[in-house]
Order: sequence, then C-alpha cells, then structure tokens
Amino acid sequence: MTLLHPAAASAAAEDDAAIPLLSVDRLKAYYRLKLFGIDREVRAVDDVTFAIGRNEIYGLAGESSSGKSTLIKTIAGAIRPPLAVETGSVCFNFSDGTRDIYRLTPRELGEIRWKRLSYIMQGSMSVLNPVRRIRHSFTDFALPHVPEKGAAFAERIGRHLERLHLERSVLDAYPHELSGGMRQRVAIALATVCGPEFIIADEPTTALDVIVQKGVLAMLRGIQRELGSSVLFVTHDMAVHANLTDRLGIMYAGRLVEEGRTRDLFRQPLHPYTRHLISSLPQIGDDTPKKGLEGSPPNLAAPLSGCRFHPRCPLAIDICRREAPPMVAVAPGRRVACHVVTASPDAVAPAMEEVRP
Amino acid sequence: MKPYLTYLSKRLLQFAVVVFVGINIAYVVTHSTPINPVEQTISAATAYGSTSPEAIEMMRRSLSELYGLEGSPWQQYLSFWQRVLVGDFGPSLSAFPTPVSELILRALPWTVGLLLVSTLLTWFLGNLLGGLAGYYRENRVLRAFGVVTAGLHPVPYYVVAFVMLLAFGYLWPILPISGGASMAADRTDVVGFALDVVIHSILPVLSLMAAGIGGWFMGMRSLVSNIVTEDYVTYAELAGVRRGKILRHYVMRNAIGPQVTGLALQLGAIFNGAIITEQVFGYPGIGSLLISAVHAGDYSLVLGITTISILGVSTMVLLIDLLYPLIDPRVEAA
Repeated sequence: MTLLHPAAASAAAEDDAAIPLLSVDRLKAYYRLKLFGIDREVRAVDDVTFAIGRNEIYGLAGESSSGKSTLIKTIAGAIRPPLAVETGSVCFNFSDGTRDIYRLTPRELGEIRWKRLSYIMQGSMSVLNPVRRIRHSFTDFALPHVPEKGAAFAERIGRHLERLHLERSVLDAYPHELSGGMRQRVAIALATVCGPEFIIADEPTTALDVIVQKGVLAMLRGIQRELGSSVLFVTHDMAVHANLTDRLGIMYAGRLVEEGRTRDLFRQPLHPYTRHLISSLPQIGDDTPKKGLEGSPPNLAAPLSGCRFHPRCPLAIDICRREAPPMVAVAPGRRVACHVVTASPDAVAPAMEEVRP
Repeated sequence: MKPYLTYLSKRLLQFAVVVFVGINIAYVVTHSTPINPVEQTISAATAYGSTSPEAIEMMRRSLSELYGLEGSPWQQYLSFWQRVLVGDFGPSLSAFPTPVSELILRALPWTVGLLLVSTLLTWFLGNLLGGLAGYYRENRVLRAFGVVTAGLHPVPYYVVAFVMLLAFGYLWPILPISGGASMAADRTDVVGFALDVVIHSILPVLSLMAAGIGGWFMGMRSLVSNIVTEDYVTYAELAGVRRGKILRHYVMRNAIGPQVTGLALQLGAIFNGAIITEQVFGYPGIGSLLISAVHAGDYSLVLGITTISILGVSTMVLLIDLLYPLIDPRVEAA
C-alpha cells in the first residue's frame, strides 16, 4: 500500500502515459430473458469503453435504468443469469500484475476480491448480516486478505474504524443497534479495511439525508486519498458528482455518451443530454423555472436505430436517426458521442441556448 | 438485564395462566362424561357374588376418596388441584388399582425416547438438506431429493407406516414389526437390552422420518431461496467469503428462526404420544395408553395424560421464547 501525497497523486492522474488501473473495452452485457417462450434481450450495457487511472475518483452518472448498475456489476465480475457478457473485456492493472476479470478462475477472482478490488454496495443499509456482530463481519470479509492475524488483526480493524470516526465498540454491536449513518460508515470501513487498489461505490449515500451524506462523502474522499485507491463512484445525483469526482462519465440508455474531467463537464457540457442533466441542477440566485426533459428513456429490450437519444434531442438531424454516433475525442481527455457535436463543436452551444428555458 | 427480568416474569405468568386454563378445560370435559368411576368399579368388583350392603357402602366411600369425588363439586375441584400439584391423578379405572401416574411413568420413556430421537433427526436432516438444496440449486442429487420429497409429502402417514411394515416385516423381514422390545428380553443385560430397543425402534423412527422430513426440507429450501437474494448474502459473495461460511453464518443462520419455533412445538407435542405410530407398530407409549384409556372410559387416565401434554407443550414454547434472542438478536425483551 503506497500513500501518495495529494499533489503527487493528481499529477499522476494527469499523466496520460500511465497505464490505467481499469480498462473497459467494448463491453456489452445483456440480460437474456425468456418470457412465455419468447426470447428477449435487454441491452443494459452496449458497447462501453473507458479507463480509470490510479488514484482518481471516476463518477458515473445517468438516470435510473440507464445501465449504471449493470455496468458496475459486470466490472465487479458479479455476473449472474440472466445477465451475460456478450463481448468485450474488463482489465485491471493491479500492482502485482494485469488481470482480465473474465479469464480468472473463481478462486483467482476470490483472491483479488477485497484485497485489490472492493465494493460498496447500493443500499448499504442491508448489506450487513443482521444476526452477526460487526466484528465477525470484519473477520469474514477481511481476515483472509490481510497478513495480520489475531491481536494484530483486531488492532488493524480498530485503527481503521477510528480513521472513519467510529468507536471500537461498534465491533460488538449488531447492525440493527447502529444508526443509518453509522451503518454506512461501517460498510465503508468494511470495504476499505484491506486497503484495496480499486473501490466500486454504487450509490452509497442515496438513502442518507444531506447532512450525513456530506460527512460520509468527505470520509470516502479522505480514505481514498490516504490509501491512494481509485474509486468508481456511481450515482444519479449530479450534485454529489460535482463535489466528489475527478472525472465523470455520463450514461444514457446503456451507452456512455460523454466523458471528461468533472470540472470541464460542468463548465462546458457538450452532449445535449449532459446539458439537460446539468441545467436541471438548482443554483442559488437562479429563479428560472426548471423544465423536465420531454419523453422517456428508450426501451432497452427494443433499442432504437441510430443515436438512442434522438427522439428527445433538440438537435437531432437526419444521421442521428440512422447511425449510432461513436465516442470521439474532441479534446485531450474529453470524449463525446454525438454527430452534431463532433461535426461542429462550436455550433452546439448557441443552439442549446435556444432550447434552454 | 432488567428488561429481560421483566420479560421473564411476564412470560412465566403467561405460562402459568395457560397451564391453569388448559388443565381446567381438561377437568371440566372429563368430569362431564356420564361415567361414574365409583359405580363402575363397584359393579365390576361385585359382579361375581353377593356382597353385604355395609361392605359396598364402605367400598363406595373409600373409592370416592380415591377418585377424589367426595363432597360438593367445589370441594372436589379443590382436592383435584391439591392432588395435581403432587402429581397424583388417582387410580386408573381400567387398570384398577394401579395409580394413573404409574401408568404414565411406565409409558413415558418409550414415547419420549422414540419421538425425541425421530423428531430431532428429522428436523436436523430436513433442514440441513433443505438448506443445501436452497443454496446449491444446481446440485442434481439435491434436486432429485426435492422431487422425491415433494411426491412423498402428501402421502398420509398411515400409508407410509403400513408400506414400511409390509416392506421390512413381510417382503424382506429383517426388522421386528411390533413392540418396544422383545418379549423375552433379558433386562439385566443392559447393552443387549438397549440394542434390542434400538432395533425395535428402527421401523417406527424411519416411518416418522419419512413422513416428517418433507415439511422441514421444503420449508427450509424456500426460506433459504429467499435469503440468498438478500443484500448481505450477495455482498458476502462479492467479497469472496467462502461459500461454506456464507451457507452457515449468512444463509442458514438467518433461516433457522422459524424452523426452531416449529421444532419447539413438535417437541412439546411429544408428550401427546404418536397415536398412529404406536398403534401400527404396537409401541407401548403414551399414545397407545391414551387410546385404551378413551376406549375404557378411564377418565382419570385421560386427564393425567392431557395434563402432561399441556405441561409439555407450554414448557417447550416457554423455553423457545426465552432462548429466541440467542437465535435472532433483533428479537429482544419486547
């Protein structure tokens, strides 16, 4: 475990030449359902390519049913029928070697879990076994992955809990004896106690009120800096992304539509969908009425031809209905999948101003 | 600790009320039968020859005392409770003058031994296999077992019992078909006698297990298949916790609660005896005793057996309620 200075860390993140810690390459994951003898496939993740560097927090945003959760399930290697990976690869470049997660035996996968790849699950309120003391959960999850045993192991857990402002006495509690915020912090402690290189966080703060949420996010950020881990942070809450993530990917209907540094993305969103997401955020002093995006997300079981956003897009032109736009790098570290934007990036901003309320 | 003591005292009070009401109902029901045990005994004793009226009168008085039928109904009721508290239910009518308590004590070890072993074995095996079948859903052997159980489960117990009797008593006669032990068993040879008892119990135990295992198996399987979809199980799997550990501490541990309650009720019911089993296999237990008591109108024996089962069921339910916080920490002194 290397502890990087924050300044050095951000320098490393900006170094494009570094091999990314996670590379997802043309990943397609479909749900194959059989209803009344009719086969249906739901294309929840359709041709997604992206990479996450060391020591960065990568945010994944998108509305419900945009395929966020499916994408992280496939990245975590938690694939259970009816979900199946069609093509593509997920490669982790850990400090002790590169691993393609779909080429690992269950045993090898079990070895990297928690030690290198850890997971904070959606609905952290219910991830703790209700009939097991917190201490035993730590033993089950972490003991096989750390060198310490016995008293040294207990000491490691105790110190880690204190780092997250939890008292050591929570170890003797059952989950139902803790408050929601404490349970959330215990879940984060459980996921980070082995010092993993990569942490997947799936909406870990969605169920918490904003005050507790702020504390938990600050804690997550702190522990990430301390461990030098990378985090893939998934939530539909754009405000959380703005405050926490270094880079941001926007998903729409199973596809990545835009990606860039969070700062740039908020300052100058390119994809029409991203624009709508960001303009929907409330701002102090802004008293213009907020307008919802017309229409609804497409049915992923019967995907549209062309760009999946075109029925709701104010900029849609003929080619958008016919051809799916590829992800194109429009600037260093900035990619977008939109025919209109890549044809003439300058034309977009004024056109969007017109459709904005 | 204090809330637990409050809970304990409340629960003990509830226990006492249930037992009291139960025994009262049994008392009222048995005492409303038209049988007068005193007259029955006298007519049996005087059927073969004449007895002087004075002797009959003396007999009537001492019998009334024995059966607790002296004085007004209220006095009878009070003396009934005085005697129940020391475990005295009077003499049996059908086996006069043997006391009821002696008859019950003679039958109880047979029934408790038979039913305790079969109930515990059935519960353990059924839950173990059901838990495994719910967790390892792709396992062919467990699936096949599930199909067989689902087919056998609706078959009435007496059919199962008779089929086993035919199979192992006549078609392939390797096991004794009747009785708790051999008639000529030498009871001074402890090991030999124990072996003899075990051999005699194999058929009844097997038949009880065959009939009872399906319920536990299917119940546990469906409990487990619900629990494996819970977040904490998925999460433990994601964390690479060993499957055996997940099965024991995450899945089974959460599923076992309702099954333990079911077991407690069955264990309590042991004192009712297994009427059909004991009849079919000629087993000398409480069930047989109860049936013959009912046929003979022996109401003090019926009352004695009923009291024992009321106590048995209530005690088991009480015990399980007091032990439940150990199984599920969320259930506390509430």
